[in-house]
Amino acid sequence: MKSIILMVSVGLFSITPCQSQIKNAKSETIKVYGNCDMCKSKIEKAGTEKGISKTVWDEKTDMATISYNSKKTSTDAVLKKIALAGYDSDNFLAPDGAYNVLPGCCKYDRVNKVAVIIPVKDQAMEMNINHSEHNMKMDTAKMNMPLQEANQLQAVYDNYFGLKDALVKSDAITAASKAAAILTAINAVQMNKMKMEDHMAYMKVEADLKKDAITISTKKDIAVQREAFANLSKNMIDLIKGVKPTEAVYLQHCPMYNDGKGADWLSKENGIKNPYYGNMMLNCGKTVETIKQ
Amino acid sequence: MAIQKTIYKKVLPLAILFTFLILDLFAQKVVRYDLYVKDTIVNFTGKEKRAIAVNGQIPMPTLIFTEGDTAEIYVHNLLKEETSLHWHGLFLPNKEDGVPNLTQMPIKPGATHIYRFPIIQHGTHWYHSHSGLQEQIGMYGSFVMLKKSNGTIQRPGIDDLPTVPVILSEWTDYKAENVHRMLHNANDWFALKKNAVQSYAEAARAGHFKTKLKNEWKRMLAMDVSDVYYDRILMNGTPESEIKSVDGKQLNGGDKVRLRISNGGASSYFWLRYAGGKITVVANDGNDVEPVEVDRLIIAVSETYDIVVTIPVNGTAFELMATTEDRTNAASLYVGNGIKQLIEPMPRLKYFEGMKMMNDMMKMNGRLDDMGMSMSLNQMDMNVVMYPEITGWEKKKGDSSMKGMDMSSDPNRYNANALGDIVTLNYSMLKAPAKTTLPIAETRTLKFELTGNMNRYVWSMDNKVVSEADKILVKRGENLRLILYNGSMMRHPMHLHGHDFRVVNGQGEYAPLKNIIDIMPMETDTLEFNANVEGDWFFHCHILYHMMSGMGRVFSYQNQAANPLIPNPKLAQRKLFADDRKMHFMFLNDFATNGNDGEMMLQNTRWSIGGEWRLGYNDMHGYETETHIGRYIGRMQWFMPFIGFDWRYRKTAAGKTEKNLFGQSSTKDNRALLSAGFNYTLPMLVRLQAEVFTDGIVRFQLRRDDIPVTKKVRASFMVNTDKEYMLGVNYILGRNWSLRTHYDSDMGFGAGISFSY
Repeated sequence: MKSIILMVSVGLFSITPCQSQIKNAKSETIKVYGNCDMCKSKIEKAGTEKGISKTVWDEKTDMATISYNSKKTSTDAVLKKIALAGYDSDNFLAPDGAYNVLPGCCKYDRVNKVAVIIPVKDQAMEMNINHSEHNMKMDTAKMNMPLQEANQLQAVYDNYFGLKDALVKSDAITAASKAAAILTAINAVQMNKMKMEDHMAYMKVEADLKKDAITISTKKDIAVQREAFANLSKNMIDLIKGVKPTEAVYLQHCPMYNDGKGADWLSKENGIKNPYYGNMMLNCGKTVETIKQ
Repeated sequence: MAIQKTIYKKVLPLAILFTFLILDLFAQKVVRYDLYVKDTIVNFTGKEKRAIAVNGQIPMPTLIFTEGDTAEIYVHNLLKEETSLHWHGLFLPNKEDGVPNLTQMPIKPGATHIYRFPIIQHGTHWYHSHSGLQEQIGMYGSFVMLKKSNGTIQRPGIDDLPTVPVILSEWTDYKAENVHRMLHNANDWFALKKNAVQSYAEAARAGHFKTKLKNEWKRMLAMDVSDVYYDRILMNGTPESEIKSVDGKQLNGGDKVRLRISNGGASSYFWLRYAGGKITVVANDGNDVEPVEVDRLIIAVSETYDIVVTIPVNGTAFELMATTEDRTNAASLYVGNGIKQLIEPMPRLKYFEGMKMMNDMMKMNGRLDDMGMSMSLNQMDMNVVMYPEITGWEKKKGDSSMKGMDMSSDPNRYNANALGDIVTLNYSMLKAPAKTTLPIAETRTLKFELTGNMNRYVWSMDNKVVSEADKILVKRGENLRLILYNGSMMRHPMHLHGHDFRVVNGQGEYAPLKNIIDIMPMETDTLEFNANVEGDWFFHCHILYHMMSGMGRVFSYQNQAANPLIPNPKLAQRKLFADDRKMHFMFLNDFATNGNDGEMMLQNTRWSIGGEWRLGYNDMHGYETETHIGRYIGRMQWFMPFIGFDWRYRKTAAGKTEKNLFGQSSTKDNRALLSAGFNYTLPMLVRLQAEVFTDGIVRFQLRRDDIPVTKKVRASFMVNTDKEYMLGVNYILGRNWSLRTHYDSDMGFGAGISFSY
């Protein structure tokens, strides 16, 4: 009797490990780019399917060991899944969207990705254009003081519009970086070169602007960012009404935000692209005022 | 899989060879192809299945001609069944059009048929079997006609690009005939496979319980954007493929590639998206259009699009993805050399948002209400409410941030291009490069409504299927204007044989030429063409299972010469009509501890012959059967009068009689009676059955099967005026089997296993 129990239990034990094993197993070690512990869990989760594949990733070497059922899948198929979770390998590049939503610590360097150079929309070029405009304005500014003052805040305004566009696209990461750029621009403002009343207008909102910009730049949650943006916009509107920019700016209003309390924002275009809801309600809202010099 | 893998290697060089051969030689030459149609075994999913290969390959070989050639195609039928080949989108004599029993008799097993016609146009087209469901299992291929090299219509920068034909298709391991039968029986197995059952439990979890309730109140079954679940999506016969070089020249960064894409799928629409940037559309249905840049486009069943994509950088291949409209499956083609840049998969549809939208559109009488929006040309896509990438991600339960939002007055609420920054192609964006005005002639306007009924999978025009409608007589030389309104709940790609039509789309004299137009529910589109080739031309929905259900018409030229290939027109017509008259069989039996319950039905567009039985294991429980022969009336087919026969035998203690609710009494112990009555579908999809028997006894019954409680649990009930009732629950195990437990007033409690076919 005892021997039967023994046999049965041996049988049971020998079956159990078999079930988690992968049939027709093959194994390969391949580079998968990543940074941290969080990457490890994400890569391994994406590269593991019960009974079909198992991935173990080494944080130090960036090497993933992939064991898989060669009749059911292939290393390429597993690497594709890992790439769709946001991680490049030497065979696949992750979709930009998947990479962009990775947590901050996982933003590894994308060594395999060749930057696409699109001449017109290239950022460096855009900056150059802005610079030359600035230079021209600087020249004229010698004769025209108010323009120069507007230029003091131009970088703040520009980054505000950048932040607004990022929120329209519901892109929390770009929003954070634009908010950080607002902070830098605020810190670079030389108040002593401003006219007295503009100086006063700016002083009133500076601390609040900074506070909201910090919130947006440090929080990755788009809902929190939008909340801070509503407040930031309020102060920005006060400022821009005092110190008008060179080009016309449109004050726009969304009646629904914040449970129907509504919120405002500023835009360079008259058309509505709602930063509070993004794609969900892109065209909701209306222009309520045009601010011109 | 060997077949699929060799396709590129085989077809491309062949195609190139032919291109050169044709270009080098003088025009007006005869180009001959021999096509051997043969049964084959394929293995797309790990299981060996029957398919049909032509010259040993799936898809069929790419046929290439130049405008001015004469095509001579020998079709050798090595199958054990009839076949035919239709040249989709081609202008040719009617007898070469390849529609069995309409333009020719089917090609018999073992026979060889020669198609011979001049090539008088250019562009990307395709060809496929028009016999039965053969198109589903491999009989589709690209058909490319090149422009004359000395022609004036050459477009530098487009026509001289490296070019690759790509044909899209789908594969299911289920037999096509079985797919067709399951669709007709409203079997929700495909929805289960797609995780799109939309049950009450799922609805409740998504905060949409009321939506589901309203949906069933309006007598709708759960809707999806497509009907069939496919195991694999194929581009040139394989789920993943690469284009590294064209004509022996390696593709590098900065290169542009022109893809001649045909949708050879039997019932799937595909989204086309490219990881390397915008897609430039340069032709549609074989006709050049002014280049238009988009982020994505949907290619309707049987449409063709020529698109140009750019490889932005060196050392990287970019994914071109074809995703089914229901987003459950996709195929990939990598364009370029090096590491593969992937594109994000399309997010899952928000089904309950779609259900809510349908609830708003559906009136109680089953008709659709467009609420004053005049929709056409795919510009307004009602389905955007289901697209997370445009209308936002599914909100979490209790999230009130959107409260107070009312979009119902926004004129753009279904306009994908106004709602998001993704540019989706629609027909209003297509513009012909030259004027397409029709010759001056008498113009006649014909109006059609596309009609259908999802519950019984009946698809028709003006509520008539092919076999119920007369041919539409056409005078040679006249201009016809077709105004099509889609009053059904599914979209339909309507295809006209032998002619291109202008799509009146706001481009004036430059209206684009097409031969398929996709019409979404509630859309109205206007088409115009000059009737210039006599014959009998099919006009039909190109979703294979809709066509086989009879969704089409025949345009027939008056006083035309008899077709020599149709020796017996009456016989041919009868065979043509047989397609939509086909009876579909279903069978259900519950093997339970307290007896056997089941039913069996044969149904077609209008008729239903059905039998039900409840067989106990002893005389006390009794045996009963009911047989009904009925005809569905009306467009929604909610009403079905029938005549029936009822037989039952039971042995009760001392001939005890039973009284029904009306005080009529009977022993029910030994009855064999004729009856007459009707079925009527009530709100909540409850079936009311009223029946009067020859002995004067009247019976009313309410019944509902297949209440989707959860993804895999179905509930059912029955109650009638004979004071009989039944309650049951099924748990679905597989396509044919489920566990079932029920309580029956006659036979008591029972549990068992239920088989359905």
